[in-house]
Amino acid sequence: MKNKHNINLSDWIIYIGMIGIFFVFTIICSAMGKNFLNINNVMNIVNQASINAILAIGASIVILTGGIDLSVGSVVGFVGIFLAMNIKSGMPIPVAIILCLICGAVIGLFNGILISYGKVPAFITTLGSMQAVRGLAQIINGGQAVSGFPLEIGALMKTKFFGVVPIGVLYVVVFYTVMILILSYTKFGRGIYALGGNSHAARLSGIKVKKLEVIVYILCGMFAAFAGVMLLARLLYADPSAGSSYEMNAIAAAVIGGISMSGGKGKLANTVVGAIILATLTNGLQIMNVATYYQTVITGLVVIVAVFADKRKERKAE
Amino acid sequence: MSENILEMKNITKSFFGVNVLKDTRLTVKKGEVHILLGENGAGKSTLIKILSGAYAREEGTIIFDGEELSPMSPGDVIKKGISVIYQEFNLVPEMSIYENIFLGKEYSNGIRVDHKREIKESREYMEKIGLNVSPKTLISRLSVAKKQLVEIAKAISNDVKLLVLDEPTAAITDKETEMLFEIIRELKSQGIGIIYISHRMSELFEIGDVCTVMRDGEYVGTVNIKDTTEDELTEMMVGRKVSFDKIENENVDWEDVVLSVKNLGYKDLVKNVSFDLHKGEILGFAGLVGAGRTETAKTIIGDYKKDSGTVFYKGKEIGTDLSKNIKNGIVYLSEDRKDEGLILMHSVAENIALPNLDKLCRPFLNRRMERKTAREYVDSLKIKTFSELTEAKNLSGGNQQKVVIAKWLYSDADIYIFDEPTRGIDVGARDEIYNIMYELIKKKASIIMISSDLVEVLKMSDRVAVMGDGELRAVLDNDGELTQQDILKIELAEEVNNEK
Ligand SMILES: Nc1ncnc2c1ncn2[C@@H]1O[C@H](COP(=O)(O)OP(=O)(O)OP(=O)(O)O)[C@@H](O)[C@H]1O
Ligand SMILES: [Mg+2]
Repeated sequence: MKNKHNINLSDWIIYIGMIGIFFVFTIICSAMGKNFLNINNVMNIVNQASINAILAIGASIVILTGGIDLSVGSVVGFVGIFLAMNIKSGMPIPVAIILCLICGAVIGLFNGILISYGKVPAFITTLGSMQAVRGLAQIINGGQAVSGFPLEIGALMKTKFFGVVPIGVLYVVVFYTVMILILSYTKFGRGIYALGGNSHAARLSGIKVKKLEVIVYILCGMFAAFAGVMLLARLLYADPSAGSSYEMNAIAAAVIGGISMSGGKGKLANTVVGAIILATLTNGLQIMNVATYYQTVITGLVVIVAVFADKRKERKAE
Repeated sequence: MSENILEMKNITKSFFGVNVLKDTRLTVKKGEVHILLGENGAGKSTLIKILSGAYAREEGTIIFDGEELSPMSPGDVIKKGISVIYQEFNLVPEMSIYENIFLGKEYSNGIRVDHKREIKESREYMEKIGLNVSPKTLISRLSVAKKQLVEIAKAISNDVKLLVLDEPTAAITDKETEMLFEIIRELKSQGIGIIYISHRMSELFEIGDVCTVMRDGEYVGTVNIKDTTEDELTEMMVGRKVSFDKIENENVDWEDVVLSVKNLGYKDLVKNVSFDLHKGEILGFAGLVGAGRTETAKTIIGDYKKDSGTVFYKGKEIGTDLSKNIKNGIVYLSEDRKDEGLILMHSVAENIALPNLDKLCRPFLNRRMERKTAREYVDSLKIKTFSELTEAKNLSGGNQQKVVIAKWLYSDADIYIFDEPTRGIDVGARDEIYNIMYELIKKKASIIMISSDLVEVLKMSDRVAVMGDGELRAVLDNDGELTQQDILKIELAEEVNNEK
């Protein structure tokens, strides 16, 4: 009897890719006389990756259900302003943060209900809420950035453990661990995969697909709100246009990590690797002094190559 | 020899290192109906997919119409004159019937597609096979049986020299099958070669000329249908004899009504349907395509929201909350395994677990248990798969069907609604499934069995409900004297009513 699952190269390809990218940058940078591979820079990369990694959790679960959420970047911007204004007006920081998470949840609820009960395509719904929420971010402070609020909020991002490990890493580790466990060891998690794999079959198997879909968008909104809090804590400056195009980075991280855009397949654990790959590229190219425009081009190409490599197995089978 | 329209030799194919076709061959003459027979997973569909260019062959030659075919794309194969109706549908759900029929070969007048002409010609093909709906109907609106008819219309609309039908009758009833046979006979008289795959033995003798039997990817032999018997074919195919007698069911408790349906209505698909189901009973549902059997089942479990009527389960009225009804023990096994039964991209184990997650999560999913249970079902139902972690899409059609059955068996329900449970299942395995049904009723479950196969209906049912045009026409006692003719008469009587 065959119990062993075949170990497949393509299961590991993303780790190989990540190590490869580190390797390439180390060599090029040291040839250029610059220092890429040291503990500080690695921590730097991880810290840079952390906000996108949190957003990418939301992107991943939504994509797993076969949907998409384009509104998360706007949520990041909105939450930043909202939080800054609230703590400026003297609201205790924990209360302000909880309010932000509720905002994220409400936006997610709105998206989710329109998509699941209203049957509006996810792309359209969240494209709309992306615009609307961005508009709200502009409105609440008349389009002005907010500064001059108590800076204690910075502790949420700037704390370091043992003098090296940034606290952003902790958020990533905690949220990913919890979500990975939920996805692979609960009925809710299985439901997410089933919904993306075949919503009819999931429904007829007794999964409450509509309710589940709404919850997934709520979670996505809450992760986006948390990412917004993180961004404010890092920048200590709230700009209504903050977070624009973050949704694309989050989706890219999920896709590089092998989450199938048509839903139903993929591992959340690989999404974090996708986020690290993206951050490494940005960081490495910056160290090499490559102009921003080229950075964007290269990042875009990496996304395509990653998906191409990931689909290799499927192509081979035919 | 020019007599042969097709000659496939030394065909070999493996998936992920497992050989599924080993040096197989198949020779078809012009104007011949060639039956391809074999157990679930024997490799019939794979052989056909190699012919059609959907899979690449590893070894072997294909000679078609006197000319050697190099490996080519499915589109080019169709142009050569080979049309295939696959076991699983290949229709675009969001397009209309006529658009599907002319997909890839659209008529154009200048730059625009000539819709009028396409609609007109589609209607001709559809009339030929007795599909009486508007060519503009969307595929997603059609029942499985009607989808099957569209596939047939699509295939005969090509300029064919060789037509391949992979289980075309699995979802259609006797009347449509008869029409299909008429078409096949006509095509045959035009010198077109036909390859016909089916697990329904009686059909093979009606329509077939020659039969090639495969087992485990290997060629077993070719015989003339005239010179053989059902027993001989079954033995060639499974290596043992299979019985077909009605087993007496002594488990029915006629006093105990577990499900009582009163005046159920849904749109114009289910009209005022009332019946009782007793503990330990198998109630067969017969009827023509579009009779409303599937719709009745789906309305009972709450997948369709009923417009009128009530359903009592163990004396209590139940609502239309699908997942609650499932939890309470009324389950529905869909006729459409690809769209409603399985998540093809997920593993066998995950599919079996899906309706049973409450049992497996306490509170966290016990994955060992999940795999162990799946393995037990793989063994007991003889599901042919590399392992329980194989993706369902890699299984043969009949084995996928067994996975659907497994997932509902595991659910331990009180009422099972089986919609075409043996669709695409070979004779040997069919008996296993019948035995499983008996096991279920011995445990005092009750079964509603919707089936288009009257032999099966008569073999299994305690009573037979005959539906037509959304109405329940009659509930007959299957006392041993009930015949296929009796059932057909009721089905057809109502046809006459419609024509008035
Ligand atoms: N794409 C695939 N990947 C892996 N294995 C496959 C694939 N397609 C078919 N197989 C395997 O090849 C074997 C033959 O499958 P095939 O579909 O040809 O059987 P079949 O004779 O048509 O059976 P059925 O009567 O159930 O339709 C099966 O064991 C199946 O698991
Ligand atoms: Mg097959």
